[in-house]
Formats: sequence, C-alpha cells, structure tokens
Amino acid sequence: MASSTPSHPVPPSLSLPPSQFARLQPHAYLLAHLSPPAASNQPSLRANGRAASQFRVTSANAGSLTHTNGSAVVRIGDTAAVCGVRAEILHTDDIASWSVSQASSEQNTDKKPEEGDTDSQDKEDRAHIQDLNLLVPNLSLSTGCAPGFTPGAAPSALAQSLSHQLLSLLHSTRLVQADDLRIWYQPPNLEAEALGEQMDVDSEGSGNPAREIKAFWVLYIDVMIISLAGNPFDAAWASVLAALRDTKLPKAWWDADNETILCSDDIADAQKLSLRGLPIASSFCSFEADAAAGWRAVVIPDAEEQKAQEQKQKKQGMQQRWILADPDGYEEGLSQERACVVVDKENDGKGNTVIVKMEKHGGWGLDADDMRQLVDVSARRWDEMKRILDQC
Amino acid sequence: MVGPTTSLSQLNRADGSASYKCPATGYNILGAVNAPVELPGRRDALKPEEATVEVFVKPGTTTAGVGERYVEGILRSVLGKVVLGREKGFPRRGVVLTLAIVGGENIERGDSYLTILPALLHAGLLAMMSASVPLSMTFAATLLCVTKSGDIVRDPSPTAAKAAVSLHVFAISSKSHLLLNESEGRFDFDTWELARQHALSICQGASDSSDGDVSMSEGKDGSLNGFIREAVEDQIYSDYAYKLDSI
Repeated sequence: MASSTPSHPVPPSLSLPPSQFARLQPHAYLLAHLSPPAASNQPSLRANGRAASQFRVTSANAGSLTHTNGSAVVRIGDTAAVCGVRAEILHTDDIASWSVSQASSEQNTDKKPEEGDTDSQDKEDRAHIQDLNLLVPNLSLSTGCAPGFTPGAAPSALAQSLSHQLLSLLHSTRLVQADDLRIWYQPPNLEAEALGEQMDVDSEGSGNPAREIKAFWVLYIDVMIISLAGNPFDAAWASVLAALRDTKLPKAWWDADNETILCSDDIADAQKLSLRGLPIASSFCSFEADAAAGWRAVVIPDAEEQKAQEQKQKKQGMQQRWILADPDGYEEGLSQERACVVVDKENDGKGNTVIVKMEKHGGWGLDADDMRQLVDVSARRWDEMKRILDQC
Repeated sequence: MVGPTTSLSQLNRADGSASYKCPATGYNILGAVNAPVELPGRRDALKPEEATVEVFVKPGTTTAGVGERYVEGILRSVLGKVVLGREKGFPRRGVVLTLAIVGGENIERGDSYLTILPALLHAGLLAMMSASVPLSMTFAATLLCVTKSGDIVRDPSPTAAKAAVSLHVFAISSKSHLLLNESEGRFDFDTWELARQHALSICQGASDSSDGDVSMSEGKDGSLNGFIREAVEDQIYSDYAYKLDSI
C-alpha cells in the first residue's frame, strides 16, 4: 500500500546498463573498451575481455559421430562446427571419361620420365582429386545458429562462399593424398602359373601384369555450424582438419569373381588418411576508431601520408585502428576490413612457417607491415591449434 | 606485351557499362551497373544510411555456383568500400553490378577463382565510372604467379597459373593503398612482399612523382592505373565532344 512505498523515491537513473549501451551505440561501446582514458590505467581490452591479438578458447573433439568414417566437433568461443566425413566408393566403370583420361595420362608419363618424382605425383594427385571431384565439402548454416537464419531458406551466400573456400583450400593445400583414395587391383599372373608347370626358366621375362585402379573413395565432408558467433571459417576449417585426421577408410579390394568391390569390416584393417601438413586458419578484422572515416573525407590521403599520420597519432596515444584476432559476431558487425591467413609449419612444427593462403579485402587500413604481424600471430596460433588437435 | 582493352557505355539500357578484355589471360568481361535503384527486400536488414552494393557474376557457359558466390562477396566488399554510398541520392538505394564472363577459360568447380579476379575488378570499376557512381578512389588489380624457379610472372595464362607454386592477386588504389590481396599456394612472407612490390610497380607505373603532381605522361608508361584513367578520359572526351565543338 501507500505506506510500503519509500518516502524518498529513487530518481530515475540517467545512466544505462552496459548491455543496453552496447546495443544502442555498438561502435562507441567497443571504442571505449579499446581506448580507455589514460587516467584510468586500464589496459586496452576488447568488449569481450580479450586482448587485440588473443583468440577465443578453442576445444576440439574427434570421433563424435558414430555413423561416419571420421568426425569432429570444434568449438571456438561460441562458434561451434560439427564436421562428418563419409566415404563412398566410385567405380572407375562409372566415370565416363576414365578410359580416355587414363590412356592420355599414361602417354604423358611415358613422354616425360626425366621429371621429378614429386612433380609427376603432384600432377596425378590433381588429376584424380580435382578432376574427379573426390572431395566434396559442403557447409550448412543451420536454422537457429544465429538470428536471421530462417528455416527453409536456400543456402545463404555466406554458406555457399564458405563451401567454396573450404574446397579451394583443400585443393590448394593438397591436404589429402590421392593414393589413399585409390582402390587397386593386382591381376594374378595366370601366364606364369601356366608356364611354371612346363618350365620354370623363362617365367621372369613375362613379369606381373600391371595393377590397375578399380575404384576411388569419394569423401563427402559435411560441416554444420550449429552456433554462429563470428568467424565461421576458422571453426569450419579446424573441424574439417580434425575430422580428416580422424577418418579411417576400411580396407577395400576388387573381388574378381564377384566383379565388385568388397570391404573388410575388421576395424584393424582400416587405415587412417595420411594428410600433408597441418594448415591452420586465423581470421582477423580491422576496427576503425572513426566509423565514418571512409566516406566523410572524400579526399583520402596517400598511403605514405596516411601511415605517417597514423604513426603520429599513435605516439600521442590516439590509436586509430585495431586489428582484432578471431572476431566474434559483435565485432564482425562493426568492421568491414577482413584478413585471413592460413599457415603451416614444415617438419611437424620444427621447420619454417609456410603461408598457404592469405587474403584481405574490404578496406585500405591493413598494409604490408600489418600483414607481416598477422603472419607472426598466425604462426603462434598454429602451435596452439596443433596442441589442441593433437589432444582431441 | 599486349595491354588490356576496354570500351565504356556499350549497353543502352544500363546506367553504365564496360567491356574489358585482357589478352594475356584471355578473359573478356562485360559489366553493367544500375545505380541508384530502389531495392526490393527487407529494409531493416540493410544499413539505411548507405547504398547497398550488389554484385552478380554470371559465367559464360553454366549457371552461377558456389565459386561465383565467393567472388561476388569479394567484389562487394572491395567496391562497397570504394563507392561513396552516402552521397546525395544514394542512401537506402542500391548499386547493382552485373558481370558476365563473355570469353576465356571456364572455371571448373573447385578451381581457383584468382585468375579471373583482376578482370572482374577492372570491368566492375569501369562500369561504375561509366554509370557516374561517386567513388572515393580508383584502383587497379593484377595477377602474379610465382613459378617453380622463383620467377614472378605477370598475368599468367590459365595453364601457367595451374602449374605455379603460388598465385597472388593485388588491387592497389590510385593512392597506393593495398585494397585487396588474395594469395594461395605455398610461399613465405618475403616472396609475398616481393610480389606486392612488383604489383605496386605494375599498377602505379615505374615513374614515381614525389612532388604530388599528377604527371602528364601517366598512362604512357603502361601502368594499370594510367590505363584506367585514360579509358575514362577518352570516354569523357567523346561524351563532351559537342561542347568542345561549340567553343
């Protein structure tokens, strides 16, 4: 009743709770976190509490799905990706151009025997994996992974372009070896046996008949993003990598009597894929202090001028641009410029860092010096991810 | 080396159009721009204070697939940053760019899209300028491949690009900013830096005028930015020929 209400009502507060401020003024909110007032002695942290080059907590678990040949769940912060690899058999009889392409490739190898071994192997790998489409990745951003994904809609442009990125990275890194995917048949040397009864002197001359490829394994690599909170590519690629490392293909052989491929159901016979290297993806975004810088100043300074200007401002403690590693959904919405670096290290981490893919677009803030830093950050991330993937 | 050729405003019904042909890689692109247009669709999902840039890429012989979605995304992010979408008449409207791959090698599923990216960028930029879309800067793009022997080759043919160790696409703005980089293959940072400097000299030209003046001989030295500038100059000259005649 009236007596229970306080006699001195609290005046309505003019301040907003942080969560509301974050929704109303997202750019100012993140900027305030990144550039705290000098007097407050606070470190420059992102709104999610991470330092600029800090990645989210990552966890991986392999072999989560029972009905696949290999599977993995990778979680980077609140972004979670499930990947399943399923192998199916593709008979060479079902490949329309098989006999033609086989004949032409044999001719090629006859012509250039002096070429390096790895070189011709590369070519054959590409010919088989790429031309026969033995790797089929697909990524789906399922309903409910983030608001805005409505049920029953066609695959979004984002999902399609991520599928393409996964496929082209699988091809350009040559991660899967074509030899793992081939099913061979060694025809028995019937002539030798027949001859052997009559005379065992000349049997060496005839030799064994050449073995032939009877079928291929096709790997269907399906990635499902079950929760999307920014940076889907890193999570999807990590899940593909973990799932392929987990993949076991059953021992398969051509049965000449039944004229079909048979597979062994003994798990001990199954073989893991031998992957080439361990490419790890790291994505970044660039956050500009002045959200309107791109369009208000119609006359944009030259690259050198701009750099000098930024250096000057940085000295005065007014940083204009932050490169944020592993951006979450909130940060992705506030920045246009993106960069992605995929690195690998030779000799299982002891050798040099090799860049496998590098991309940046959507702005002119990042220059060559920034890219060099990003490669260093990505190389550190490689060590971290290798540890996580080895444990899973 | 034979340089690229272009012609502007070929199509009558589009607001602006350009065809771009690169003899080295063999690609022939036809681009059309309509801007500003009213866009259908959900208004609340778009940024209301800016124009929305939409890009459609149509391959010559097949329907567009996942590779085209990917390259559309790249073009949208590059052009969206360059277009001054807050100029009068542009907010809440759309800038629609359609690029048709008229000639050149087909890009199969899973192939790298980098070989065609410079041609698409140039055709898109020239079509934008033909449609008089306000831009903050122009740019030029180039494709470089690093061969097994470590040589950097400019504008390799599709077969040479397949045999290369690494492929790099750089887009350098008219003010020497690095607007876009797409690299794949196996390389280290020093190789990348070499390729970037190579691209910078291709796009900007060897003559580096430090006094800030636009040198009068620009375009003659074969730089790509000069080529873009010349193409537009020629177009403006022919568009305003009637005025020149009346003087």
